[in-house]
Amino acid sequence: MADSINAMMARTRDLELVIRHVLAGLGHGIHAGRERGAGVEFSEYRAYAPGDEWRRVDWKLLARADRYFVREAERDSHVAVWLWLDATASMAEPSRNDGMTGVDKLWFARTALACVAAIAQRQGDAFGLVVCSGGKVEFTQAARGPRQLQRVLEQLNRAQPDGALPTAQVLKANLHFARAPGLIFAASDFLDWPSPLSEALLRLRNLRHDVRLLTLRTRAEMDASFAFGSGYRDPEQGQGLYRFTKADRAGYQQQSRAHFDLVATSCRQHNIVQHEACIEQPLPDVLRRWLNLARAR
Amino acid sequence: MLSSAYPWWWLALPVLLLPVWWHRQKRQRPTAEPLATARFLPAAAPEQIRVWRWRDRTLLLVRCLLLVALIAWLAATIFPWRGHTVLVDAGADPAWVAQQVAAAGMTDAQRLPLPPDALHWLRAHEGDWRDDARLLIVARAGHIGMTARAPQFSHPVELRVQPAPAIAATVVAVNALARYPVVLAASPERSGAWRALFAAFDRAGSGTQRRTVATAPSAGTELIVWDTPGEAPPAQWHAPHWWIGAGATLPATGKSATLKVDDITLQYVDSARGRLWTSDAFPPRDAGTARALYEAWRLLDAAPAPAYPAPSHTFAAARPAAMEDQTAQPGQSARWMALALLALFLLERILTHARRH
Repeated sequence: MADSINAMMARTRDLELVIRHVLAGLGHGIHAGRERGAGVEFSEYRAYAPGDEWRRVDWKLLARADRYFVREAERDSHVAVWLWLDATASMAEPSRNDGMTGVDKLWFARTALACVAAIAQRQGDAFGLVVCSGGKVEFTQAARGPRQLQRVLEQLNRAQPDGALPTAQVLKANLHFARAPGLIFAASDFLDWPSPLSEALLRLRNLRHDVRLLTLRTRAEMDASFAFGSGYRDPEQGQGLYRFTKADRAGYQQQSRAHFDLVATSCRQHNIVQHEACIEQPLPDVLRRWLNLARAR
Repeated sequence: MLSSAYPWWWLALPVLLLPVWWHRQKRQRPTAEPLATARFLPAAAPEQIRVWRWRDRTLLLVRCLLLVALIAWLAATIFPWRGHTVLVDAGADPAWVAQQVAAAGMTDAQRLPLPPDALHWLRAHEGDWRDDARLLIVARAGHIGMTARAPQFSHPVELRVQPAPAIAATVVAVNALARYPVVLAASPERSGAWRALFAAFDRAGSGTQRRTVATAPSAGTELIVWDTPGEAPPAQWHAPHWWIGAGATLPATGKSATLKVDDITLQYVDSARGRLWTSDAFPPRDAGTARALYEAWRLLDAAPAPAYPAPSHTFAAARPAAMEDQTAQPGQSARWMALALLALFLLERILTHARRH
């Protein structure tokens, strides 16, 4: 029954509605903004000290207490959050479970990143978006505010599963945001590893960015519970035909496990947070676990 | 159109099955489902399955029509293919025929058996001969009837008639009762069948011929039926024609030849005593065979001679207007057919092009 939450949410294209639903039980932010200063959210009063800007003095309080107080607010964070969406053809992989119509990897990745964007916006962080689709990189500059959230949600909604990952050169040309340290939330199936994407992420990690990966899989992929006898093709690799029979099941599971073990090992070596999730799991749980992983580190 | 001279082109109609077959078979890959993790599965050999389905019905229809039009056009069009030809009367003396053919300088020419009513037949089928072809007709006297008007051919046609032999009075007056002495030497069990046959012969046709059955040949005997197996006929028996039943043999001098008239296969060989005929149909076992034999024999030899037999004559080549009119009809339909063929071909090309893009 819990699984059907995803299917229910997948029925709407209104990401904001989904975000509200997901974040209702998700009070925690991405990181704590402990610095105080000029900002939007009120934090505390402190005594006026010479040199403070006059416009930050609370005049009502002066009238009441006859002393100068300065309003302190939570200062806006300088951490930029980068959302990295893999929208290649393999992300179109749907859930093959019953009652999960409309749920595919891209939907899950898109929704999870939208929630992260909403959290970042609530925290006052600047956030940007990188969409890898059809061999190209679509880049949305990092900015703050609700309008940026609209822009990012629009971009996320527009992403269609298409083509393969961009090449290393294309990615490198688009990594100019790497100068200032930031948080990178990347959602992908990471079926290509090592790949230009993985190398770019490792590079960013080496540049002191906080990289957090969400590896998406489906229940059928984990259990190797595809229909037997049917021919399969790789959506990103040419015309090759693949078969799946009962005898191939063990081999499939072994290869797939080995691949994701390699991904996990590689992430651990580079101190990258990696969470392997199944798109049939309820999205709020996955999101909470993903965000908590970073906190536990 | 269907009554054209080349109706066997219509036997090519099964060719229509080809486009039908092409349009029904379609090779297609079995549908492969996209699977992101397909790379962890073993690769399968690409298979193709044949799916039977009607595709592009309009194109199929046009293609079938195109083939039908092509066949109809071929059937309606007459391609002249015959070269120099000699029409040989099967009953004529081979030595004389060879001599005449050599004299006309047509030794290498193709030989055709002489059809009944040769001049009419020739006029009807003259389109078969190429423009430069020459024709020679060699026949016995009294086998080619004179036409009321001198026939005109578009090819040079030479008619050579063998002078009538002195012994055989084959030219008989119309309506006169002609008597043909026939000698019958047959075993008792077959004798009845032979007599019945000749009785039937007498009644057939216009009833102007009578065959008198004797046991020994005389000077006027035309035919000897020898159907006593294991015995040879007396040495002094002579007749122009012998019918030899199964089991009996006579010494022959010439080369054996086979004739097929209707359903009756006749073999003849020349000997010192006359021409010996053998056939599976001797003696006829039923009325149908007897009738066929009568018709065959009448065509070959004992046909009533035409009232006015044509003499030897050389017809110069001419292209009379009447002949043009006669051939205009098939030519017209072939022209229309060719236009239809062209139109269908264009349509087919257009449809094929439209299907590709």
